[in-house]
Amino acid sequence: MRMMIQAMRKTGQLSASFRDPSGFLFTDNGILYRQINRAYSLDYARLMDSGLYAKLVKANLLIPHVETDQLPAQSDAAFKVIQPEQVAFISYPYEWSFSQLKDAALATLSIQKRALKLDMSLKDASAYNIQFVRGKATVIDTLSFEIYKAGEPWVAYKQFCQHFLAPLALMAYRDVRLSQLLRVYIDGVPLDLVSGLLPAKTKFNFGLLTHIHIHAGAQKRYSDRVAAPRKGGLSKQALTGLIESLENTIKKLIWKPAGTEWGDYYENTNYTDAAFEHKKQLVKEWSAEKKPALVWDLGGNTGVFSREAASSGAYTVSFDIDPAAVEQNYRTVKTKKEQNILPLVLDLTNPSPALGWDHSERDSFGARGPVDMVLALAVIHHLAISNNVPLPQLAEFFASHCRRWLVIEFVPKSDSQVQKLLTSREDIFPNYTREGFESAFSSSFIIQRSESVRDSERTIFLMEAR
Amino acid sequence: MHFAPLPYLDPGSGSMIIQIAIAVLLGLGVALRASWGGIKKYFGVKPKPEDEDDDSGDA
Repeated sequence: MRMMIQAMRKTGQLSASFRDPSGFLFTDNGILYRQINRAYSLDYARLMDSGLYAKLVKANLLIPHVETDQLPAQSDAAFKVIQPEQVAFISYPYEWSFSQLKDAALATLSIQKRALKLDMSLKDASAYNIQFVRGKATVIDTLSFEIYKAGEPWVAYKQFCQHFLAPLALMAYRDVRLSQLLRVYIDGVPLDLVSGLLPAKTKFNFGLLTHIHIHAGAQKRYSDRVAAPRKGGLSKQALTGLIESLENTIKKLIWKPAGTEWGDYYENTNYTDAAFEHKKQLVKEWSAEKKPALVWDLGGNTGVFSREAASSGAYTVSFDIDPAAVEQNYRTVKTKKEQNILPLVLDLTNPSPALGWDHSERDSFGARGPVDMVLALAVIHHLAISNNVPLPQLAEFFASHCRRWLVIEFVPKSDSQVQKLLTSREDIFPNYTREGFESAFSSSFIIQRSESVRDSERTIFLMEAR
Repeated sequence: MHFAPLPYLDPGSGSMIIQIAIAVLLGLGVALRASWGGIKKYFGVKPKPEDEDDDSGDA
């Protein structure tokens, strides 16, 4: 968990987990541990003894852990140290497609329902507590549970609405790209903002009317008031009703990936089936030969080539700028029950920055690398020509994310896709040639192999980082 | 609103108030459904199997 290591502060405590007094994450010798503080001992005991832990782990809803003899990082407060299963790649909600966020929301509610049955409750419902583990939305914060106190409302209700319901409603009813508001608002999208952005027809949807519109109004009305507790409190039945209402509202939110820019990209390519198959075969061969543990497919579209890399056993993160392609990719992961492919939305020309307190709560895209192998297929012309990045800078970019292997496709100017990019603009790229490309990349990489893609003017290179 | 012990995240006064109002309303629905199930059972209608424990959050 390199990102965690980079986000570490002097105390040994990882800065992504500083808020919760129940415990925190720390690393020792590259292994990730979670210290549980004495303040949390009763809740932890209930989680383990009630059978909730076993039930949730079995359903792939909670990350498994083992209790260890590892010395705590802050011994005065310590109760226990646990070692959670390591997550292959940490991703954030603003990198997820619609269905990924929706599944994360439903997983959270499913956990809360199961917890309530065993007299526990989620004390926070942050989308950042969810990671995709073996293809499924899983809570990674073992300390998210507390003993349920009869009569009490759900303390994480507001957080759930801001982290999940609000962005999902915006994506479904307004525009799927509004998921990017999660990048601006680290504790979820403010409900008054969402209420204003949603179309008026959402007021006729009972769930959105109550959990978003009326909720936003109530927040404003009671913003400076400390309310007195209700006598008798809230029955568990009522609380279950609330959770089920959120669940039904979210299940009904639908987004279809049709109609976006590149949703049907593979139907619009200029290369033949033979070229496509040849590319697949090369990626498969080279990943089988080099056996990378972690692969990033940059510009992975719907994940066709990611799957070839993943077939060698590599955990493959398939990034694409197009939410429709990522959505399609994720649906394939679900249908085929694939465990080692993670589709994510990412704009390579403006990748995820470090966010949050002191820039250390959420790691940047780059800080989560470098990885063993990077795939850059049919992407270089978008970066070099559409985004005007000079080839030497592109080489540096790939070198910084690539620990060892780079599989990169050079698309020459004569290629019809590049011609298309050049029709509406001046050709200011005299060095964009195969020779220019090879010489720019040679400073950071050794070219091991180059293969002309059958039936095309393109070339695929296997390079090793210097 | 005061709960003991206080949660470590601010649940928001307005959010708590509206949650209680919505939950009470929806709780009535849950109660009605439960009693309707009881009535049906009394007349020999088999209840549908509960599948909630099998769903894994990816519905």
